Amino acid sequence: MARFAADERTVVAESPTSQRTPRPRRRPPTLEQIRGPGSPHAYHLFLPEVVVGRGVQSQIIVDCPSLSRSHVRIVQHDGEVRFLDLDSANGVFLNGVRAHAAVLRDTDLLELGSCAFVFHERGL
Amino acid sequence: MSLFVRFWGTRGSIPTPGSKTRRYGGNTSCVEVNAGGQLFILDAGTGLRELGHDLLTRNLDTVEAHLFFSHTHWDHIQGFPFFIPAYRPTTQIHVYEIARHDERFTRLLLGQMRSEYFPVSFSDLGGHILPGYFENDCAKVDGVVLRCLEQTHPGRSFAYRLEQDTRSIVYATDSELDLMLENKEQTLKDFDVLRVSPRAITDFVRDADLLIADAQYTDVEYAKKIGWGHSRVSTVVDLAVRANVKRLALFHHDPLHSDDQIDSIVDAARQRAALRGSNLDVFAAREDLVLKIP
Repeated sequence: MARFAADERTVVAESPTSQRTPRPRRRPPTLEQIRGPGSPHAYHLFLPEVVVGRGVQSQIIVDCPSLSRSHVRIVQHDGEVRFLDLDSANGVFLNGVRAHAAVLRDTDLLELGSCAFVFHERGL
Repeated sequence: MSLFVRFWGTRGSIPTPGSKTRRYGGNTSCVEVNAGGQLFILDAGTGLRELGHDLLTRNLDTVEAHLFFSHTHWDHIQGFPFFIPAYRPTTQIHVYEIARHDERFTRLLLGQMRSEYFPVSFSDLGGHILPGYFENDCAKVDGVVLRCLEQTHPGRSFAYRLEQDTRSIVYATDSELDLMLENKEQTLKDFDVLRVSPRAITDFVRDADLLIADAQYTDVEYAKKIGWGHSRVSTVVDLAVRANVKRLALFHHDPLHSDDQIDSIVDAARQRAALRGSNLDVFAAREDLVLKIP
């Protein structure tokens, strides 16, 4: 049987906590506007809650007549991003399906009136 | 007043968590219908667990729910022991049987909580489990009228139609429509031919605002799964078109189907509806999707 000299043995060293590589900080989810006035534009969702609409009270204002003043609310909670139609006149379409609310998944297409957004779960 | 429909579980047969099923979801059958504050639950698959957690966040003093089962196969009952509101004394759950003195659903709920299967017994549930039943295939809850119809599925299954004023939703999962077709043999050879469902089924779903239907198999897959109790997507599309349904939610997704495959199935279903000259809105039911029936 082969024998190893003491200095040939592999030493498994515990890396001190202070030297561990910090977990990279996640980029905020992003709504990428691909159609409608102002596009292309990337809206990074830094706030836990935003309203998209054409009214000045909205956090994401898109100057488009097919949008309601407060069209859709986007809420982040527990690592998920969810939208809620605020009884908008033209509705919210998720991947072509009229929807009242849903959790958004990566690359989902969100259409509000004549405007369209692609959702990026891990930002752009 | 509007009806709100929320999908908590859309998968058939067995839970399928994972990256390939993330968009449409991996939980098994559970659909919530909210009619002016009245809570209706269609099936208690694993999606029911999520619904239970969500109910606890709604700041309700009490939870009152009307629970309907399509049938008692695992993927439709498994969520019940994990439905947290059922453990609270302020909760009332009306479990509906398809006829007076029929106890199939309550018996199965009780049976699946025997100690061989689950550590907490049915009698330890703090909530009130109350009996409800259909009489002449009809039940009424405040302003909502419910009807049931037996389907074709091993061990029996039932479809439900909920009507409130002029709105209507049909929940018809775990149904092998293809065995019932009037032109069954022809449709197995020629996939393009219009499938003719029996009159009773067509009438049951007629003019529905939303049909949530078992659409587990493609035409090719079905050939190897005849008698397993599930429908072809194309058959369900033809039924919806013939019955003048407004929206069709493809439901009970096959556990082998990834999100991308379901997208392809939806595309094919839309093409089929369009070929029939229909403007039927076809889509795949997706976990956590909320629809409003205005």
